[in-house]
Amino acid sequence: MIFDNFEGFRASGFTPKVILIGSGPAGVTIARKLAGAGIPVAIFEAGKADFTEESQDFYKGKTVGDYYFDLDVTRLRYLGGCSNHWAGWCRVMDAVDFEPKAWVPDTGWPIRRTDIEPYLEEVHDILDLVPFRDDVWISDDIRWVQLIKSPAVRFGEKYRSEIEQSKNIALVLDTYVTRLEGDGTKVTGAHVWSAGKDQGVAVADYYVPCTGGLENSRLLLWSNEQSNGGVVPHAEALGKYWMEHPQFQGGNALMDNPDQFEMDDVSEAFFSPSLEAMQREQIMNFGIRFIKMPYHGAKWLVAELACVAPETAEWVSEGIGGNLRCAAQLVMGWEQAPRADNFVALSATEKDALGIPRIELHWKKSELEHRTLLQGLRLFGKTLAEKDYGRVRIEDWVLNNQPYPDDQELAGHHHMGGTRMGDDLSKSVVDRNQQVHGVANLYVGGSSVFATSGQCNPTTTIVALSCRLGDHLARRISQSAMAQ
Amino acid sequence: MAPTNTTPRATRRTILQALLSIPAFALFAAHAAPSRKQPADELVEVNGWILKRSELA
Repeated sequence: MIFDNFEGFRASGFTPKVILIGSGPAGVTIARKLAGAGIPVAIFEAGKADFTEESQDFYKGKTVGDYYFDLDVTRLRYLGGCSNHWAGWCRVMDAVDFEPKAWVPDTGWPIRRTDIEPYLEEVHDILDLVPFRDDVWISDDIRWVQLIKSPAVRFGEKYRSEIEQSKNIALVLDTYVTRLEGDGTKVTGAHVWSAGKDQGVAVADYYVPCTGGLENSRLLLWSNEQSNGGVVPHAEALGKYWMEHPQFQGGNALMDNPDQFEMDDVSEAFFSPSLEAMQREQIMNFGIRFIKMPYHGAKWLVAELACVAPETAEWVSEGIGGNLRCAAQLVMGWEQAPRADNFVALSATEKDALGIPRIELHWKKSELEHRTLLQGLRLFGKTLAEKDYGRVRIEDWVLNNQPYPDDQELAGHHHMGGTRMGDDLSKSVVDRNQQVHGVANLYVGGSSVFATSGQCNPTTTIVALSCRLGDHLARRISQSAMAQ
Repeated sequence: MAPTNTTPRATRRTILQALLSIPAFALFAAHAAPSRKQPADELVEVNGWILKRSELA
């Protein structure tokens, strides 16, 4: 069932067991899991079926610290959420990404990759993925990994027909949950604005905000402020440990044989470090995106190499003579250390059209991250030279620790943390089942629960976690029904 | 007084000859690594390039 607004939904008399807030990959996946178990759910989507400027305006905000994307550009507020501008890159976080790194404080998850692996087959169906090949080690330090460029599922499009026909899912558009209400042990209702007016309070047995890696923090911060801590009683970490995947071109590479690494259909290959290399260099995880370079770039690079290593330049130029596409840009994205001083806060001055404080995002890259960028490129360059795969040149701004360029990709539009998963109440918001600490009926879906970000794109992991949360909730609801 | 004791040196030579007469040991002697190894071609960083030292102009 799909309703254009809350009034139509209320008139239908549909009684949801679970209210999911947000119709992106997490919200839709959890809804489908619960509906499959025969549990009635409502998805409240603040936007409409399509993009509107009016809806998008609610996402405006401000960033304090490093330069970042406009907050109303880096996410989308309509049916399908951020899946509508997702590029489709898929990879599940590695097992090492769930483990703590002894050399970086506050890293590691309370669950392991094995906890989400049972759901990966399902994830492949949801995201229309082909199977991943195994990683290939090209040295002790570096492995050639696979990111799959999937067809980029738009959740609002792919699952619209299924939701329309579902008797257990009520998708309610134009329904903005302005805040949750709680008594410190449970959530008692969701305040709803729809069709241009206050619609009162919607109730269900369970509530699951799935509004994205920025908005989940905003909703819970505002709800908590309005209910004197009644929604998130252990709120020390709420909004904190926010993370992105910064991305910059940090170097170039010349290869004498372009066929050594099979490129994907957009002429890219990906490389990541071993845990031992990360530990030895005391750095975070990273991914080097090897992007084939056009001929003029390759010529420039060979000419520069000839100044310092003429015979090597001759060696690669012979290869280039045979194939003009064996030079590459090295774009590196890396895992950001989880830090309490990177956080989502409520603006003291800026409010949206309904008077709710906008986001003030505090975000900076640390010295550890510059070291990750530099040492990561060195690790990759050493592997290429030792194995005679090619040669790497690191950009001057990286070598000289100059400011990050402001004309590049900057980051991945990956919003993670803020309601992170953990066992320590002072450093996390949800437990290993994504239930808010101390609140019986409140869960959080999506990348805001990431405890550590890993280096790969988050959507595949978000969907896997959502399948797991859907199963958990279905089991809990079923056990609760049997006990009554 | 001139040294007169040459017996130990002759004994060592005899032992060595005896050892070399054993086929396996002779094989080892023929293929023994040179006493001084060639240094590995270490990697260096020049103007941001990561290269082998032998490649430098």
